[in-house]
Amino acid sequence: MSLASSIRTIAVWEMNRSMTTMGRHVLPLAAGLLVLLMLVTAFAAQSGVHMQDGMYRIGIDDPDVARVVASDNRFAAYLDDGPALWENRFAYDIVILRGEVYAADTDKGRAALKTLERDYEGYVSHVAAGEPDLFAAYPLWIDLQYVKSEIDFLATQSGQQVGAPADVRVPPAPSGPVEAVTLPPSAMPVSEDDLREHLAEAGSDHPLERYTGIISGGSVTDRFRTPSELSPPLPFDAIILVFVFIFPLYFTSQFFMMSVMNERVGRAGEALLSTPARPSAIVIGKALPYFTIMLLIAAAITLFAGAPATILLPLIPVILFFLANALIIGMAARSFKELSFVSIFFSTLATSYLFFPTVFANTHVISIISPLTLVVLGIQGDGFTVAEYVYSTVLFFATSIILFYAGIVNFREERLFSEKSLTSRLADFISGGIGRDHPHLSLFLLAAFTIPFVFMTQMLTLVLFFNIPMPLSLVLLTVSAAFIEEFAKSIGLYAVARERPGFLTPKNLLLGATVIGLGFLAGEKLLLFATLAQITESIFGSVLFLSLQVLWMPLLLHIAGVLITGGFLLLWGRRAYGPGLIAASVVHSLYNLHFLMGALL
Amino acid sequence: MNARHIGIVAKKELFGLSSEKTIVFAILLQVFIAMFSSFLMVGLTAMYDPEAIEGYSTVTYGVGYAGADSPLIDEFEKRDDLVLYRMDLAGALAALRDRAVAAVVYVPDTPPDAEEPVTVTLYLIQNDLQSSVINVKVKEVLQGYERELREVRADRMTSFPVGLNFPESGGGENFFEFVYGLLIPLLVLLPAIVSAALIIDLITEEYQRQTLETLISTPVTFAEMVWGKIVACEVLVPVQAGVWLLLLGANGIAVDNAAAILLHASAGGLFLILLGALVALYYRERTSAQFIFSTALVVVFLLVMAVPYNPLNLMVRLAVNTAGPAHWLILALVAGATALLGWATTAYARRIGEAAPPVR
Repeated sequence: MSLASSIRTIAVWEMNRSMTTMGRHVLPLAAGLLVLLMLVTAFAAQSGVHMQDGMYRIGIDDPDVARVVASDNRFAAYLDDGPALWENRFAYDIVILRGEVYAADTDKGRAALKTLERDYEGYVSHVAAGEPDLFAAYPLWIDLQYVKSEIDFLATQSGQQVGAPADVRVPPAPSGPVEAVTLPPSAMPVSEDDLREHLAEAGSDHPLERYTGIISGGSVTDRFRTPSELSPPLPFDAIILVFVFIFPLYFTSQFFMMSVMNERVGRAGEALLSTPARPSAIVIGKALPYFTIMLLIAAAITLFAGAPATILLPLIPVILFFLANALIIGMAARSFKELSFVSIFFSTLATSYLFFPTVFANTHVISIISPLTLVVLGIQGDGFTVAEYVYSTVLFFATSIILFYAGIVNFREERLFSEKSLTSRLADFISGGIGRDHPHLSLFLLAAFTIPFVFMTQMLTLVLFFNIPMPLSLVLLTVSAAFIEEFAKSIGLYAVARERPGFLTPKNLLLGATVIGLGFLAGEKLLLFATLAQITESIFGSVLFLSLQVLWMPLLLHIAGVLITGGFLLLWGRRAYGPGLIAASVVHSLYNLHFLMGALL
Repeated sequence: MNARHIGIVAKKELFGLSSEKTIVFAILLQVFIAMFSSFLMVGLTAMYDPEAIEGYSTVTYGVGYAGADSPLIDEFEKRDDLVLYRMDLAGALAALRDRAVAAVVYVPDTPPDAEEPVTVTLYLIQNDLQSSVINVKVKEVLQGYERELREVRADRMTSFPVGLNFPESGGGENFFEFVYGLLIPLLVLLPAIVSAALIIDLITEEYQRQTLETLISTPVTFAEMVWGKIVACEVLVPVQAGVWLLLLGANGIAVDNAAAILLHASAGGLFLILLGALVALYYRERTSAQFIFSTALVVVFLLVMAVPYNPLNLMVRLAVNTAGPAHWLILALVAGATALLGWATTAYARRIGEAAPPVR
């Protein structure tokens, strides 16, 4: 059988099987639940969200004033006469006596006061909206216009303050050429009736409601607001995209994870393994239906949201990444509960990697490390260049391919059906990639292959530490980067030492450390020159990728790191792996800090 | 039903959880989330209430002013955190793109007492944290201008709202409503959902690995085995929720009535666990069971949220100490519903157990 035809056979078989096991029992109940879901949604839309009902107690002496808070469930209002209210004033968060508002001097009292102020604004708007002369009640309308501006990565480093410090009384002079602009018209382009309608809709807005209509864009009337309607633009729109795009994809990848796991449960996959199909055909064939479904789902959402089709391109590596991780987790988990916990852990990591950089979309180039930023740009209609695409997706492609490779190599009976713990299974997977005939070549390749993962983890730390003040973030970044690199370099050696204790002789350690150092450097170079030029220019880059300046120094450092960890392993056995790793990281950090201080001083 | 048998099964499951070190992943996850909790806190609060972020900024911002003279200039003069520059519109916009100013306002020459409205154009940087801060500041200035214009046009108004005099609120960020009204109920709910997913894993695993025969051949009956697993999952709910509350307390967020909140969480958690157990017993296969359960969970959650005095709301009220004794009634109702579901689960498990030992 050729590879293509066996992939097709497996894919069709996988489709049929999952459709029949899922289909017959699940579909009727799922359909019923869907109907129920629609009914409940309708009910919830009518009834509203009752999460924060009665958070605050408010005492009021006037029924007219009580109407201000009548529509807000957060207030439990108590009507009483003035002296009685004053007597019990400590039982309330807010007391209103003859139009004077008294709030308790607590966090809760202040929060209640803020909520009351907003309710009052809404009430005043409601009264004013009924005025026959709308422009007497609302004399001021704001036309909100957004301007695009992107700072580059070097801005924060050179100490430029984003917040435009304004000490001087001289107007700042623009640095670039000044484009001519047409002055906005002074007349209101929207009819009075439309504005009234708009005001009526915007009457009372609960904080949670702003998220319901975010994908559907606003109309022309929504551009004009009264001052009290001005609400800050959301800098975190991207999380909506995470839910809309990423969550369904992640959810579907769970089915693939389960399908892989099911092959292992009770040795069910034995029949599959005994067919002439190669492991690569089995894995690819099994993944193909899910890949197609995920792509279709993404396409359907894109179509539904009316976004350009190009946003599917950055989603492809994300889909591959999810599937690759689903494969490895499905192959490594020992039990269902382990599967659940590991996959939840992974999804949190992946989501934060995808989501946090997009917070800086339009603002900072760091955002491009997440493919989701390209989706944001695509939806905004800005598009993205090929270079940006490569830059943000190459890590996803590389890690997915390597993970798939590891999965295929280990898709064998003795690996799939063993009952070892998660970490030792993962170590098995790694040592499975190390050939007996050419262990040094394998170690070299393994070290090179870890580079995308190292970069990805380091990127995550960069995102994490980005908001910490400068000297501390640098130190944290240095230490964590060193630890990640030392860990990545040592796993090959650790896996070999575990499986073949006799392998670890002083001679082999020296040789192994050299090839690992070489492989690490080679992989680093390759990936870096391909993509990350922009980040490496900044100070953060010089922390992460310090080792690129001179060749032999970092090579020695990498070798020394492996030698330290390996030496610990050699002298005191596998139990010394942790201390060895820490020792190597300390040396590595000191080296990095030394160079960094030299660069800073 | 033998309580000792149930205890044995529960102990075995809990032991399995700790020996597999899955718990380590749960702890890692919490540490990971805590690592950027400050970021999350600011970020999530800003999402919940964007105006809260004004409190984070102590910088003075420059604002470009273009167009006709107006009383708006005086309103800007009153603020010491905004500096106004008179510029022409094109230059001001170019400066905005350079981030040399944080916002630009353009004011037309409409007289204050004109028939038509005054339409001010406000330019901000798109999708930017700083824009959110400046937006709040400029909003206050514009509201001042609006009040002034309203006074000028007051003789054209017919009705007047009830006047309220607010004390000086002092401004600053306020996490209260977000933390107590959203974060606490969700954090307390999370362990319940995790436990419900766990029971599905535990039950379907026995079926799919065909380890049931060995279990049933012991004196433990099938129903006892199911209840042992349920107990193991249920124990985790108040423990995890309690840890969250302790962590919040360590961060200076005092939660009132913690014991009552944990009772509500345990009752609601048991309801979800029983639901998960029923689904798992029916499907005996993880993929289908988890799929159906997660869909059912969304339905239950939406329904609960739409009902006044729902358990989540009661947790909020308890946390801020405005619940009153009514919550005991709701707790009894939830406990009653849970008992009913528990009875159904027992009956169903007995029926399965009495049928021939399950074979696939």
